[in-house]
Amino acid sequence: MPEQLWFTQLLNQHLAGVVTPLLQRIGFVPRYPEAPISNFVAMELLVFLILIVFFVLVRARLSVDRPGGLQHIMEAVEGFVNNQSEEIIGHHSEGFTPFLVVLGLFILIGNLIGLVPGFESPTASGSVPLGCAILTFFYYNFHGIRKQGLLKYLKHFTGPMPALAPLMLPIELFSHGARVLSLTLRLYANMFAGDMVTLVFMSLIPVLVPVVFLGLHIFVSLLQAYIFVLLTTVYLAGAVAEEH
Amino acid sequence: MRKLLFLFVLMALMLVAAPVYAQSAAAAAPVNWAVPIAAGIGMAIASGLCALGQGKATASAAEALARNPGARPGIQLALILGLALIESLALYTLVIIFAKVK
Repeated sequence: MPEQLWFTQLLNQHLAGVVTPLLQRIGFVPRYPEAPISNFVAMELLVFLILIVFFVLVRARLSVDRPGGLQHIMEAVEGFVNNQSEEIIGHHSEGFTPFLVVLGLFILIGNLIGLVPGFESPTASGSVPLGCAILTFFYYNFHGIRKQGLLKYLKHFTGPMPALAPLMLPIELFSHGARVLSLTLRLYANMFAGDMVTLVFMSLIPVLVPVVFLGLHIFVSLLQAYIFVLLTTVYLAGAVAEEH
Repeated sequence: MRKLLFLFVLMALMLVAAPVYAQSAAAAAPVNWAVPIAAGIGMAIASGLCALGQGKATASAAEALARNPGARPGIQLALILGLALIESLALYTLVIIFAKVK
């Protein structure tokens, strides 16, 4: 039996009988058949549930003349992301706001949930930042192709002059692949390093010093969620930009 | 009474330090003796160069802000973005260390 958080254990007790046959039918054999849901998947589901409850509550309490606290928070978040994407992308950027807000809130809550005892950050495992980065990659490429057509979008990869195309094309393709890698690694390494540093200092001086590192970890969590959304906005701007 | 309470809390916190007890006795295998040394030196070089780069970025941002306080949003955006990108380069080294050092 692997080491499980209490939430993972709760999920595995009730759902292992359903999940393991489904996985085996697809072809994956879980290493521990009585605990097929790993910790980071369970934490991801918890963050998803928290977000759904938050959005449903905001929607149910929307009011024009007497907005409550949740509506203020949601308006602040949405206004911030909207202003930023308008600054970076330019006009017609409101269509991207829902994706950016949800991405930002998912990564933020995923980062911060690791601070609560009994939970761990799903973003501190390798797979969740990779999922977010691949999703971002498909999102900005899809919108670039939709806005400009497939051929014109691919022409961007060839650079400013046709003579440079054999040089520019592999560089551009590689750099786009490196974007996925860098988005993943930045988020994963920051969260993982925060955990490691707190652990190391907890084993050296358990008294007051780890609090400082936990404070740093909180700041880094907020900053990394913001940076992920900011970089997604910049990549979107590069994809849907049109030369005048 | 308060000193006794402080002493007991201190002892309780000391007992929580589980990770250091889980450290196994490190017997250096003859083949892999250089790996931890290389990891330490590599990480130190990466962190030092990252700190130099971030220092230059912060200095430029502070000077630009002093010259033109009205451009604060743009300068702040460029500063935060630049710092995060430089930081991630040092963190790539950390990830390689965690992948390669057992």
